[in-house]
Amino acid sequence: VLGSVERDLGLRALDTARSRGASYADVRFVRRDTEDALVKNGRLDSVDRGDSFGFGVRAIADGAWGFAASAVMTAAEMDRVAALAVEIARASAITKRSDAALAPVAPAVATYETPVVKDPFAMTFEDRVDLLVRAEAGLRSQRGVRTTRARYSIWREDKLFLSTEGADIAQRLIEVGGGIAAEATGEGELQIRSYPDGLRYQNGGGWEVLEQWDLAAHAPRVAEEAVALLTAKQCPHDVTTSLILAGNQLSLQCHESCGHPIELDRALGSEASFAGTSFLLPKMLGSFRYGSDQVNIRIDSTSPGGLGTFGFDDEGVPASEGWAVKDGIFTSYLMSRETAAALGTRSNATMRADGWARLPLIRMTNVSVMPGTAGTLDDLIADTDDGILMDTNRSWSIDDRRFNFQFGTEIGWEIKNGKKGAMLRNPTYTGITPEFWGSCDAVCSPSEWVMWGTPNCGKGQPGQVGHTGHGAAPARFRNVRTGVIR
Amino acid sequence: LSDRSAARWGEVELRRIAEGALRAVGTDGQQAEALIIARTGSLTRFASAAIHQNVSSREAELRLRVARGTRVAIVTTDRLDDEGIRRAAATANDLVARAPEDPRFGGIPAPRPIADAPSAYSERTAEAAPLDRARAAKVICDAARAKGLSAAGFVATNTQELAVASTLGTWAYSPQTTAEAQLAAIGDEGSAYAQRVSHDLDRLDVAGVAAEAVSKALAAQRPREMEPGDHEVVLEPYAVYDIVAFLSGQLTGQAVEEGRSFVGGRMGERVTGPVTLMDDPFDPDGMPRAFDFEGQPSDRVTLIEHGTAQAVVYDSGTAHRTGNANTGHALPPGAGQPSAPMHRRLEAGTATREELIRSVSRGLLVTRFYYTRWVHQLRTIVTGMTRDGTFAIIDGEIAYPVKNFRFTQSYHEALGGVRGIGNELMLLVPAEQFGIQATAARVPVLHLASFSFTGATRF
Repeated sequence: VLGSVERDLGLRALDTARSRGASYADVRFVRRDTEDALVKNGRLDSVDRGDSFGFGVRAIADGAWGFAASAVMTAAEMDRVAALAVEIARASAITKRSDAALAPVAPAVATYETPVVKDPFAMTFEDRVDLLVRAEAGLRSQRGVRTTRARYSIWREDKLFLSTEGADIAQRLIEVGGGIAAEATGEGELQIRSYPDGLRYQNGGGWEVLEQWDLAAHAPRVAEEAVALLTAKQCPHDVTTSLILAGNQLSLQCHESCGHPIELDRALGSEASFAGTSFLLPKMLGSFRYGSDQVNIRIDSTSPGGLGTFGFDDEGVPASEGWAVKDGIFTSYLMSRETAAALGTRSNATMRADGWARLPLIRMTNVSVMPGTAGTLDDLIADTDDGILMDTNRSWSIDDRRFNFQFGTEIGWEIKNGKKGAMLRNPTYTGITPEFWGSCDAVCSPSEWVMWGTPNCGKGQPGQVGHTGHGAAPARFRNVRTGVIR
Repeated sequence: LSDRSAARWGEVELRRIAEGALRAVGTDGQQAEALIIARTGSLTRFASAAIHQNVSSREAELRLRVARGTRVAIVTTDRLDDEGIRRAAATANDLVARAPEDPRFGGIPAPRPIADAPSAYSERTAEAAPLDRARAAKVICDAARAKGLSAAGFVATNTQELAVASTLGTWAYSPQTTAEAQLAAIGDEGSAYAQRVSHDLDRLDVAGVAAEAVSKALAAQRPREMEPGDHEVVLEPYAVYDIVAFLSGQLTGQAVEEGRSFVGGRMGERVTGPVTLMDDPFDPDGMPRAFDFEGQPSDRVTLIEHGTAQAVVYDSGTAHRTGNANTGHALPPGAGQPSAPMHRRLEAGTATREELIRSVSRGLLVTRFYYTRWVHQLRTIVTGMTRDGTFAIIDGEIAYPVKNFRFTQSYHEALGGVRGIGNELMLLVPAEQFGIQATAARVPVLHLASFSFTGATRF
């Protein structure tokens, strides 16, 4: 964990920023250790271990922002980078229309660590890769599979945050992810089936995060489904029907159509040229019907296992919980100190940066669809006369205000008279966000609720990759347009 | 580290680091390769016509690939002091001893002669100051505000260096710079987009990016609703870039090997209309670089010639596995795929943009695609949205703006209906990938007979 050496260097950087005229500055040291391994077609395709360590200084001078970063850990470099951050801030000020203002936060002196049962960095490489080798072999047991993959990713970030307001926060965050996937080709088709959620499943915690899914036990089924999809019935074209989304797909639906539009920087226009804006305007807070009264979506950076779980965000704001959507009504944004000040409120701890070289941005923490009372997935299918069940994302797209979306999944099944029927290939569905969530009439019970994760969320210029958590259970939507491609 | 204050690390310093890393690995019956990606990226971002994010970072990453027989391991670090390099080498040696055998591994490639490529480096860009970028941003913001529009976008200057060394004797080094401006000019009821890229900040057309986006945004206000369906289209280069990016990602040896490519089993056959797609690492108007991320010489490759599939590109590993020649298009380890065309050029035609628009009786002018994703890779079906300036064309004239559409379209089938190709090429670069702006494309305006719009949104 980062300590006195970095603290001394960081305090020097803050002194330099102040002496150059910064009215506010913070410094973040980030050390990131990663390992990714991929077993493919019966061989270790790659093992890549990463090690990154650097610092970034954020400063307000002349009422405007500057940021500079470097990986060189010397006193002279602290001075250069802090001075550059202030110089950049002063350059920013030539276009400013108002002074940057921050909502207040009590400066914390604290530490936080992700709870882990089995520290993945303390295991041997052989033990880690053995899980992949066994699971991938199970995929190759099925004739007709062309490409097989099993992957894990382990991730650890040590962070030290210091501010001119007196914050001093050290954190260690640990994540583990991975999965298996089989691809089959033939009949002019390419089909993929994976478990538990593409190869992108990831959670906060130790090796137990991956072990709980028992990849090897599911490998034969995954491979069998990939091959079966080649000759499965094409998802019927342009049919409006009832749609049940598996939890892993609902989590991405939530990410794209709720998580992003509730980012206040988008709503205020900061991302207008790139990620886009939001149909959820500040005047809609507390009154806009985002979804049916079955829809309850929570912002919670304290949820166990979430990729958005931490002690403090990268502005030193403590983790928090609250409602984004309560009984279908839009209730809160994801906010930073600066954007919260624009609404006259306080930050709910959502500022996070991708490593030391990037500026913190508003990022989803854990934005989760809370469970309902519809029982198990089997119960929900039994309660559905006619429809389609779709499972595991394959394709996703949504417009820059987050109205019109289209998703495709790896696999679907017809539902007829309360029973799961024929397998469907190339399933897709499309809709308009508030209409879609407005058509939600059932969400499964807590027993079906899983904390899923999106470790590949892109935002910002320069680009950043964020890790976000999304709890979800299967849910049903009525009158959804399905089968976009023929 | 020497020369800390400059944006460029320099060939001498990077060679010292790379060779130091190879020495630290040792030569005990093994091969090693050191790839360094170094970058000073500075980006001044504005929204609501004021700078709100303004950043500069100096980053350098060493990727050390060690092979012992058929065992391979990769270690990546940005700790380039002696201790950091020693640690990386020790980790790599430890991992490679434990890694399972990969009988299909063909070894780290031996050096081959690398031809000279035109320079894509500008000292002026490398030395740009925060005020240079802020002043350019102000020119753009002021131009938008003068017409009652808001402005969102950025001005960026980047210096990037790529260096590759190996125990087999490889040494390859290339510095590049880019200066870039992007603008979305935004009114109350419509927006428009423009982008410019140059190696040289002094040649970055800041006024041009503002003029294009502002004038188009004024025309984009109060869009009308229009029914989705199959429409004839004229695509601006920003939209064409997306098509080239998706299709060229499938024009690789691995995509063919794994049955994911639309040209698999179709070499020598017609796969699109009469377009020619090159990968030209020596194009002086592109982002030239004569070698790939393995330090191998990059070939000029004709991927599609007048609609006929001609070739795909290879890295050393895929070439070895599939018995093909390495074309020198390796991406860095961890890129998600081992190779890609990185210097793409969709050859120009003979018509002006205005002539292409005039040749459409009923159709659409599309500025830009957004959030495009595969729906079906093998059939190259992609879905996405139009954005920042979509217009109805009636009787050869831009008639009125329309609300944005969702499309779901096979990209190579769309190119099957090429009716006209613009006579000018625009250089476009994506955001940085794996720590570098590794790829670029030069693309024209395209006139296509049909594009499948499958939905509409509310703005």
